[in-house]
Amino acid sequence: MDIASLLDWLQNTSLAVHIRDSLFAFPLIESTHVIGLTLVFGTIAIIDLRLLGLASTNRSFQRLAADTLKWTWVAFALTAVTGALMFITNAAVYYNNAYFRAKIALLALAALNMLVFEVTTRRSVAQWDRNASAPPLGRAVAAVSLVLWISVIVTGRMIGFTTTRASLAEPTPVEQNLEDLLGFPGDTAPSPPTEESK
Amino acid sequence: MKQFALWLSTTSPSVYIQEHNTWTIPVIQSIHIVGIALVMGSVLMIDLRILGWAWVDQTLRQTTNRFGPWLTAALWLLLVTGILMVIGEPVRELVTFSFWMKMALVAIGAAVAIAFQRTLRRHEQHWENSLVHNRSIKALAILTFLLWVCIIFLGRLIAYDHVWGSWSPSERQ
Repeated sequence: MDIASLLDWLQNTSLAVHIRDSLFAFPLIESTHVIGLTLVFGTIAIIDLRLLGLASTNRSFQRLAADTLKWTWVAFALTAVTGALMFITNAAVYYNNAYFRAKIALLALAALNMLVFEVTTRRSVAQWDRNASAPPLGRAVAAVSLVLWISVIVTGRMIGFTTTRASLAEPTPVEQNLEDLLGFPGDTAPSPPTEESK
Repeated sequence: MKQFALWLSTTSPSVYIQEHNTWTIPVIQSIHIVGIALVMGSVLMIDLRILGWAWVDQTLRQTTNRFGPWLTAALWLLLVTGILMVIGEPVRELVTFSFWMKMALVAIGAAVAIAFQRTLRRHEQHWENSLVHNRSIKALAILTFLLWVCIIFLGRLIAYDHVWGSWSPSERQ
């Protein structure tokens, strides 16, 4: 099966049709995605700031990681499931969207970055567990992690502005006619992003 | 409110954001999301400490010292970026049910955060020795977390205010 027919099959599954046809499903799934991703980034930031020596410096890294990372994974699972549900509602459009592709690439880099940490600095954790910050490679991983995850958030938000949902929710007339109401000449008014209402 | 929103959208800061909306809106929204993440991470950890599920080797005071300042700073960041979003898209934000419901819950959430940090400072021993083990306090910790979850839902629903049907002022036009 080639990718085009796979995408086509995905967006015609009864689950995808169900979400598209519902007034509530997509907004609720997207909101849950935001809850998941804020918890993912919020908990990862706790770890990264500890590695950088910027917060929780008086605490054992291993204890901090044990307290924090399990919640990161729970939240990540929530984000992945809701992300997949949004994807199938409009699979071909998302698949061809540059920001979507960039976001997936950034997620892969974040995973690779984490792997680097696990096979290097984490192996020697006994030597620096109580230090205020991790060794240089650990600090580099933490800084890269923060940059990557913020980039994931930015590209994720851009997907919403550069894709059109398959159904529902035309922008309200109020927004469409705002330029007219304000007396802006139509042709010089800024052209709104495809999905400004998002 | 509609009139005010329309007036606000003619002011020069608003016009600037609108004219550069291909980057201003996504950038402001992304910073807002990073702020929410800091709030969620901090609230989660303080609540887990109260529940006894994390940070148990640290006192409640130590846990709050770690996350309280980040929580407060993130709330200020959210206020600033939130105001910028209202200035940039006044009608989209102000003429919705979701926005005003969210503001009511944010007021409660901020009041809880301030009251908690204050009472912990004043009655530290009482909190560490007994209140932190109190079941009502544990229930309150869960409720506080759910409050912030609701705030996130309402924030995202500003873009989908039609889900509220006739409660949404933009549906009543």
